[in-house]
Amino acid sequence: MVSKHPNIDLLSEYATGGLTPAQNATISAHLHYCARCRDHVRSLEEIGGWMVEHSEKEPVSDNLLDAVLARIDASAACPTETEPVAPDLAMLPRSVQKLVPGGRADWRPLISSLEVAQIPCGETRFELSLHRIKAGGRSFQHDHKGLEITVVLRGSFSDGDGVYQEGDFIVREPGDVHMPIATQNEECVCLSACEAPIRLTGMLTRVLNPFLGFNPA
Amino acid sequence: MITAKPNSVNDSRVVMLAEGSPDDWSDLLVKVGEHQDRAAFARLFSHFAPLVKGFLLRGSNLIPEQAEELVQETMIKVWNKAGSFNRQKSSASTWIYTIARNTRIDWLRREARSRVDIEADDLYDTGEDNPSYSSLIKVRDTENIRAHIGDLPQEQLDVVTKVYYEGKSHSEVSSELGLPLGTVKSRIRLALKKMNVTLAKEAEG
Repeated sequence: MVSKHPNIDLLSEYATGGLTPAQNATISAHLHYCARCRDHVRSLEEIGGWMVEHSEKEPVSDNLLDAVLARIDASAACPTETEPVAPDLAMLPRSVQKLVPGGRADWRPLISSLEVAQIPCGETRFELSLHRIKAGGRSFQHDHKGLEITVVLRGSFSDGDGVYQEGDFIVREPGDVHMPIATQNEECVCLSACEAPIRLTGMLTRVLNPFLGFNPA
Repeated sequence: MITAKPNSVNDSRVVMLAEGSPDDWSDLLVKVGEHQDRAAFARLFSHFAPLVKGFLLRGSNLIPEQAEELVQETMIKVWNKAGSFNRQKSSASTWIYTIARNTRIDWLRREARSRVDIEADDLYDTGEDNPSYSSLIKVRDTENIRAHIGDLPQEQLDVVTKVYYEGKSHSEVSSELGLPLGTVKSRIRLALKKMNVTLAKEAEG
């Protein structure tokens, strides 16, 4: 049972397209498990539909429909292939599978009970990665220089503050210190977005990567 | 800077009613999805292509040629994905909004010459159909939005229209409008509460 949810600010930024790719990935992973938040997002998207419906009509070129139909006909000839997914990813949400290059996670041991696989997502604000903690294993005690968002994808873990189940969405603020421990009987896989230690600010960020939000001062 | 135009919003609603109802657009989308019906697609195109172009232009510094390219990409996806449109769970305009939103995100990524090829459709794929979101909730939402959006105080409407039209984060909106981040967030929360599109008791997280 999912008990930790993203707040309405994050859900609304998700619905309007205002999040970075890594943030977006964590919300989609949570939505995979959480019908309640999917409903919220659907409702928030209805406002977007209303905005489209009530936009001022801007005339399009006369030949635009023909151009679109020609491109549809051209693309029908080349079907796209879906990449096979490695067994360790098969049980994870589809949105996560699709982000892992080649459907194969590059697991690297950090300590004996913890492996990490980076997921490149083309942004400098958050680093996105998969974490796998062995059954009963400890992660390492760490604090946060920036925000850390974690979504439990498989199994469960606990720390000083509670027990987290599949789908739970956990936000850690800078300065929080904790040490996650996987539940005894099964390994735990999480998706995590960590704010990168180096923070860019100002318009330059937008130029370098349009997904980046301005860092609040 | 502030782009809200509540009067034109009300005016275009009248136009909308004169041209066709949301149910008609859903019918047409289903025809495209099930039968690759080109006549139905042409009618959808003539209605939605100018709206999507207007939506994209209002929210950005796109030049009209770029906006038309994005309209093309959006409408191609409408054709390709029409089979997955579920009229019980989404109105046609909302479904097309999500496609236009994702198309813009992909365009921004390409413009930034990102070396990582992540598509917004994948980033938004929750992999689950929505068992609980029903046509009843959909109708409730659209009625609530229709009934209350015009009553929002201008300062709330400005922020809400900006986040939807421009697809920006709350921090970006805060910088651009010169408002504290907390003010932006609270205006959005208040507006959502007034429109009843979020359950108030769950709004804090």
